[in-house]
Amino acid sequence: MGITGTYTEQELISALKERDNQAYGYLYDNYSGALYSIILQILQNSELANDVLQEVFINIWRKIETYDPSRGRLFTWMLNVTRNASIDTLRSKGYQNSQKNQGLPENVNISGQVTQTNIDNIGLTKVLAKLKPEHRILIELAYFKGYTHEEIAQIEDIPLGTVKTRIRNALLQLKEYMQ
Amino acid sequence: MNVQEYILSGVVESYVLGLASAEERAEFERMCAAHSEVRAARDAFEQLLEKQLLSQAVAPPSNLKSKVIADIEIENDKRQGKKVVSMKQAPVVQSGWLRYVAAAAVILLVGSTILNFYFFTEYKKYISKYDELVASQTQMATLNQALQTKVQQYESMLNIFQDTSMSIVKMLPAAPDGPAIGGHTTVYWNNNSKDVYLVVNNLPKPAADKQYQLWAIVDGKPVDAGVFDIQNGPVKMKNIPNAQAFAITLEPKGGSASPTLPIYVLGKTTG
Repeated sequence: MGITGTYTEQELISALKERDNQAYGYLYDNYSGALYSIILQILQNSELANDVLQEVFINIWRKIETYDPSRGRLFTWMLNVTRNASIDTLRSKGYQNSQKNQGLPENVNISGQVTQTNIDNIGLTKVLAKLKPEHRILIELAYFKGYTHEEIAQIEDIPLGTVKTRIRNALLQLKEYMQ
Repeated sequence: MNVQEYILSGVVESYVLGLASAEERAEFERMCAAHSEVRAARDAFEQLLEKQLLSQAVAPPSNLKSKVIADIEIENDKRQGKKVVSMKQAPVVQSGWLRYVAAAAVILLVGSTILNFYFFTEYKKYISKYDELVASQTQMATLNQALQTKVQQYESMLNIFQDTSMSIVKMLPAAPDGPAIGGHTTVYWNNNSKDVYLVVNNLPKPAADKQYQLWAIVDGKPVDAGVFDIQNGPVKMKNIPNAQAFAITLEPKGGSASPTLPIYVLGKTTG
């Protein structure tokens, strides 16, 4: 496979399944930024985010066989792999300890760069900011903290059915703001 | 709930973002398989999400890509390594196949032993042949050396005979009843260098304690020109600047200061 330009989704998937190194290079060039923004939004720590991004690409390499195109697009699958890895790290002991030593979680220093990236301008935060506060908190807890609906019902002290309905409404709102 | 209501319920977004429960996911996949509208709605939201996240992307540190590529190369090597391991285990599973290999190995070993013995015998044979060849080669070299010497002798002889500056003095018995009947010698006398070469054409073999001696006759007096043994080819004698004749007498071994008569052969020079 000598293709360096662009791949169609099909071409890319079959090249990835053949473990073609060039296809992984292409994948990194085109999608690492989008995935990195989600990792940053979840972890709010650039050093850990670097490790997670590295881990995510190995996971993609290892698990590419399990990707089933009939269930959705490649990007959606990668996004879920990324979110799961980030939330696993968020829940890990290492992360809990690192947060004790970390002063300003809301500002992310992109290793070595002078400019500080405000977490409010990346990934989904911009559209998230447009949501009503009661919707926004549920998306934060469900999507970025990885809590189950049951856990959220407990934390927020609202019925499970309401959690479900509000999350769905919030997601529909989110979709509107994306368009 | 009809399909349209289902699509607008927020389940599509919930599924795509990974927030749906296992139950909801299973149901959604069934709906996708059954209704193309559901699939279309899912695909539309996926594309919207992808576009949104790509537009809000944050570039990771530039050195991270090489780390990722290095990781992938390590994974690739591991993957190929696994194949090697599984090949090593194969003989345990396929012992029937191994038996054939073992049998073939034994046959090869026996064959190899026989060949080794054969080649060793051959080797011994060639060693002795080699020794013979070396011996005969040495013999040839000696012979060659002797021939070289001979050739050099003949070459110098030929030079003497061919030299145009040579005076030739034929020496014959001095008296018909002398001691050397049928005797005949020849002196080759170089006009320029005055070197003297003697060729014995025919002379009686002397006794063991005697030697022939050549004399130059200069103004009636004999001058010693050296003793000689009978041999093939010319013998270089003493240098004689001037002589009217040459004579040969038989003397005690080593020669005499003055000739002992009788004269065996005698020849006058032309000059």
